Amino acid sequence: MNPRVGIIGIGQSAFRAKRDDASYPDLVREATKLAMEDAKLEFDDIEAIVYSLSPDAMVGIGNAERLGIDAVGARNKRFLRINTGGATGISSVAAAYYHVAAGACDVVLTAGADKVGECGDSQTVLNKIWDPIYERPLPLGTITMLAMSAIRYMHKYGMTEEDMAQVVVKNRWQAAKNPKAHLRKQTTVDEVFASRMISWPVKLFDCCPQSSGGGAMVLASEKYIKDRKLDAVWITGVGHCSETYYIGDRMGRGYTADHADAYALEHSFKRAYQMAGITDPRRQIHVAELYAPFSNTEFHSIEAAGLAKLGESPAMMREGDFRIGGAIPVNPSGGVLCTNAIAVTAMIRVAEIALQVAGRAGEHQVKGAKLGVAIGYCGDHQFFGTMVVEA
Amino acid sequence: MAYRVQTGVIGAAIMPHITGDERALEEILYDVTQEALRDAGLTIEDIDGIVVGANDQYDGRAISIMMASGSVGGVDRDILSTPSGGEHAFVMGALRVACGQYRTQLVLAWSPTEASSLAEVQRLAADPYFHRRLPQDELGAHAMQATALQAAVPGVDGLAQKVLEKNRRNGAKAYPDMVGNGPLPGPIRYPLAPEMSAAPVTGAVALVLASADFARERGREAAWIAGMGWATEPAFIGDRKLTEAPALQEAARQAYAEAGITNPVGAIDLAEVADPTPYQELLAYEALGLAPRANWAAKLGDGTFGPGGSLPVNLSGGALSLNPVYCTGLIRIAEIARQVLGRAGPHQHKNAATGLAHAASGDAMQYNTVVILRREQGVSA
Amino acid sequence: MELLKRKETWNITYTHALGETASWFYVQLRDHGKIYGKRDAKSGRVLVPPRAFSDQTLEPTTDWVEVGPGGVIETFTIVYEEFNGLPPPPYAFGYVMLDGADTAIGGFFKGVELADGKAAAEKLKVGTRVTTKFADRRIGDVLDFWFERSGK
Repeated sequence: MNPRVGIIGIGQSAFRAKRDDASYPDLVREATKLAMEDAKLEFDDIEAIVYSLSPDAMVGIGNAERLGIDAVGARNKRFLRINTGGATGISSVAAAYYHVAAGACDVVLTAGADKVGECGDSQTVLNKIWDPIYERPLPLGTITMLAMSAIRYMHKYGMTEEDMAQVVVKNRWQAAKNPKAHLRKQTTVDEVFASRMISWPVKLFDCCPQSSGGGAMVLASEKYIKDRKLDAVWITGVGHCSETYYIGDRMGRGYTADHADAYALEHSFKRAYQMAGITDPRRQIHVAELYAPFSNTEFHSIEAAGLAKLGESPAMMREGDFRIGGAIPVNPSGGVLCTNAIAVTAMIRVAEIALQVAGRAGEHQVKGAKLGVAIGYCGDHQFFGTMVVEA
Repeated sequence: MAYRVQTGVIGAAIMPHITGDERALEEILYDVTQEALRDAGLTIEDIDGIVVGANDQYDGRAISIMMASGSVGGVDRDILSTPSGGEHAFVMGALRVACGQYRTQLVLAWSPTEASSLAEVQRLAADPYFHRRLPQDELGAHAMQATALQAAVPGVDGLAQKVLEKNRRNGAKAYPDMVGNGPLPGPIRYPLAPEMSAAPVTGAVALVLASADFARERGREAAWIAGMGWATEPAFIGDRKLTEAPALQEAARQAYAEAGITNPVGAIDLAEVADPTPYQELLAYEALGLAPRANWAAKLGDGTFGPGGSLPVNLSGGALSLNPVYCTGLIRIAEIARQVLGRAGPHQHKNAATGLAHAASGDAMQYNTVVILRREQGVSA
Repeated sequence: MELLKRKETWNITYTHALGETASWFYVQLRDHGKIYGKRDAKSGRVLVPPRAFSDQTLEPTTDWVEVGPGGVIETFTIVYEEFNGLPPPPYAFGYVMLDGADTAIGGFFKGVELADGKAAAEKLKVGTRVTTKFADRRIGDVLDFWFERSGK
């Protein structure tokens, strides 16, 4: 029997482009404080901390987690940092989960922050994720790499630019209901088309923003929660999976993963679903926060989650299946398209699902949601984390 | 706290000094992975998950787990990365097996020397708010700790010299081909003499962890984790008292409590401790409860911590002999694992039933991890 | 309240060992204007660019196979935005499966008018045949070659 690990505290900043009023550790402290208050705990109650931080270059400080030590009250305590690129936030929650599930600790904090807006150019940093042996001279960045995924997805399944724009419209409409989201202004398909082309076929509005802010969560063992009669929601499934690093190997002949799809994400879900006893995702899952930094990527993420067959999600999107009020709302918070503080973005996906299944999501609440899934997405759409959270 | 599933090390590969340009970093990682798997008697198919500890700035890659993952078997496998320290990959790997959801874990760390300046790389860790203008790298921090100890412990320089000689002699025996005539001296940082640290070299290390059930099913011997603790000092050196090591004390406390050890001196047969300079090793003796500072001179003088003593420390020669900076911590753990497994090589200790590994990373032992490994399986909780 | 800022630039140069496999690839490219892949014996796939081992099978690769110069576009994009440290837009690049290869290699696409995105995308669509062009003076770098539509 897998041990149940509960989420007893959640904290997130109101994300914005820049936070000139706060240093990087200040933002970490801000979110940590919110999560501790939510859990009604003092720092002395925390036994271990998992620090969520993706590329150091984004915050401009090597091993920047060291600067966050005091912000998370880690002095003389168990402390380590996780970095799995964009998936860092969900991997951090998973790492905290393992601390508790292993029996090492009863109460674990995970926290982090990002100031993507302060980095001179995030695409320049992200160019450095590519292989210096063969690919670094090419102008690869996350935008161009996922634009190329869009091209293949269009070729395979007939997705259109209009389908992509529908994702943006849906998510902005949902973000408008979420006071923590960064981009909250609703938009239309025409406005998406009018926004400037960045990397064919991805336009400005199809891209996530560069956000600043922090996120934190407190996890606890079932025994701790029961002994103190705390409110909690439960992490029942966890998984990660990675595919080949080389984009060119996800095409051609004899490949296992097509760059159009998200094969490793599907495999990551397999592990998480098996743990959580999910055999029929479309029926059992009520809400999903699927990390999608560009509009087209929401489609292959939905399909990898088993919420639609390969290539079918654009049609379902047009039908309204994935908006609040539809069959399976996806990204009711507005998702990554509306807020992206990279180091914690994937943690916020888990936090939002936790809020949903606890009935605490306010205006962007999905009615009756009791079981949800969250994902994190790393690098050149290579590495994924998944989690199942239920009431 | 009691771990759910008993976890042990069933294989390890240590490459503490890699020379030559024939292999790209990814090829080195492939080789160290294959060697660790061979040592464990497994193939990659047997590996349930992987944790790597790598530093982007050392590697020159913005998310180093991405390119490394292929080499270490990460394709279609569950892989995580702990850039805070190579030894944290061990901690995370152990927790993953101990929680019962993974039967095995491969854990790795590596330390390239492709950056134009490791000091510059390390200097980037200084906060841009107050300290980046200073030439603050790790060796500088270790040196500051030496200065602090000089003021607090009369005669400490002579003791540091003894530690240095002990470790260098050990290293020459443990890795004769690599240590050769002695490592190149490190850069100068007052009050350290140049030979008080070894010049950085390229290295890599990999271990295979397994659950008790897995090890039993496959008939594999293991070095069982009897206790594991980890803790951190605060970030600003100015907030710390460098003559003490409270985080290491706390990490040791956690590990000893789990292992049921009240007096480490009687319970531990040998130890590998952090020794970026001899001063850290001295401080570790005290924080680990092996010898308070009043006894350092006596214990070094009577050979207790020497190769023939009752508690040999750093039979491998430590980082003072071979210094692949970023992965020296995980190497300490791997060395103890191999000792307990009876596979340490020329420096095998005849009685290695219980070993202690202390891994430290960052400025002046900022992150500390203590792992106690035992040959005897003991009772799982 | 006066809020201050500080500018910091990271300035580290790395000298990455390419290893024997990539070095041989680049020497062939530089000295002979040829592109080679390496075969993963277990799956039979010819990996381009070549690597010493396959990350799918974890087996070492075996024989060298000359590939191209013709090939097929597997994916592309056209960049219109300016990014620090990357080339001035517009430019097109993507991945090409060269004849004889099983995986695709990255490179720039030249010889296509890019001002009209939709029209250019049609010209570069998945499946378009291209040929590899080599620079007259090569240094042993992926920018020693690029792709142009061949109409064949």
